[in-house]
Amino acid sequence: MPTKDRKLTVARAMAEAMSQEMRLDERVFVMGEDVGPLGGVFGNTRGLFEEFGAERVRDTPISETAFMGAAVGAAADGMRPIVELMFVDFFGVCFDAIYNLMAKNTYFSGGNVNVPAVIMTSTGGGYSDGGQHSQCLYGTFAHLPGMKVVVPSNAFDAKGMMTAAIRDNSPVIYMFHKGLQGMGWLGTEAGATVNVPEEEYTVNIGKAATVSEGEDVTIVSLGMGVHHSLHAAALLYEQGVSADVIDLRTLVPLDRDHIFNSVKKTGRLVVVDEDYQSYGVSGEIIASVVERDISILRAPPQRVAYPDIPIPFAHHMEQWALPNAEKIVRACLRATSN
Amino acid sequence: MSSAVHQVTIPIDLWEEEVEAVITTWFVSDAAEVDKGDLLAEIMAEKIQFEIVAPATGTLVIVKHQDQLIDKGDVIATITSAPD
Repeated sequence: MPTKDRKLTVARAMAEAMSQEMRLDERVFVMGEDVGPLGGVFGNTRGLFEEFGAERVRDTPISETAFMGAAVGAAADGMRPIVELMFVDFFGVCFDAIYNLMAKNTYFSGGNVNVPAVIMTSTGGGYSDGGQHSQCLYGTFAHLPGMKVVVPSNAFDAKGMMTAAIRDNSPVIYMFHKGLQGMGWLGTEAGATVNVPEEEYTVNIGKAATVSEGEDVTIVSLGMGVHHSLHAAALLYEQGVSADVIDLRTLVPLDRDHIFNSVKKTGRLVVVDEDYQSYGVSGEIIASVVERDISILRAPPQRVAYPDIPIPFAHHMEQWALPNAEKIVRACLRATSN
Repeated sequence: MSSAVHQVTIPIDLWEEEVEAVITTWFVSDAAEVDKGDLLAEIMAEKIQFEIVAPATGTLVIVKHQDQLIDKGDVIATITSAPD
């Protein structure tokens, strides 16, 4: 008898993790814009309002400053809030509560005050939503100390990392890519909808995963980029190049050993990131290898990242700027031609 | 009793407008075993998502795949029940 399929979209996997933790721990609650009866603009709180009601699934006014401050205060006072900020692009208005209070209070209190908040927010573009609804800003959050940052690429990780994030006593920024949610109007990457166990489990925060094994080049990515990288690896295989594809899964803490060990094997490194190229994730990945041992590299590292421009609205201009499998193939061939 | 083939059909009254829908997700693979009532697929019409559940227990054969356009009344899969 074959095992029965039980695939979930990332959106459903997130909701399932939250509902299971809310049943186990009454301190867990959810708040944000349209997380209640609507079930979240990206579907990730569907069913929660019906099960837990308006007290624990709280629709907020459109004041990120107010509800982010409330969440940080609630977390410091013993609750375990999960807060949705609909688009990562909107963080500017409420950043003080995040990087000055949430991220620092544990340190400033000498470890006496935990701030176990989960902030979930959508990232990424590709569906022509313009420069204020399409950014990733992974590097912005990863740069600021005091917060863990996770970026799941599939439904299995999405559930396990949400459960881990809720149980973590540190603040966790949970960044989900819109194109992986399983919402049709955002375009859906089929590879993100995978089998998910019904019972609770955690995926360790801080551990990367090798999602395809190869010998010639290491491709490091996260979120949607993992799927572009897997498509690229399949194209490269036809050309006789085998790629190790690493899904970072967590940006903070970064699994530098995992990256280093792969590059040590392949000698070549290509980083794929939908966030802006300069001063960000791709540079940090490369630095974490070369500052440890530059002699393992057989070719200069390559980057396929978002150009340093505000994201265009026009479809053909946005698609030109985004990472894709063809760009990754070219970068890998540049690296392996050395 | 011989095996029976059940059709998984999009209900003709699932949405009101005269618009096409698209299959956004299959939650089970082609050739998978499904139980009656299992969530099979999600479809979207005008940004509204609808769930399609299994009308019978048996082996699923997917006819319309993810991202394919569909209309009311379309058969998107069949389920073959084993003989009793």
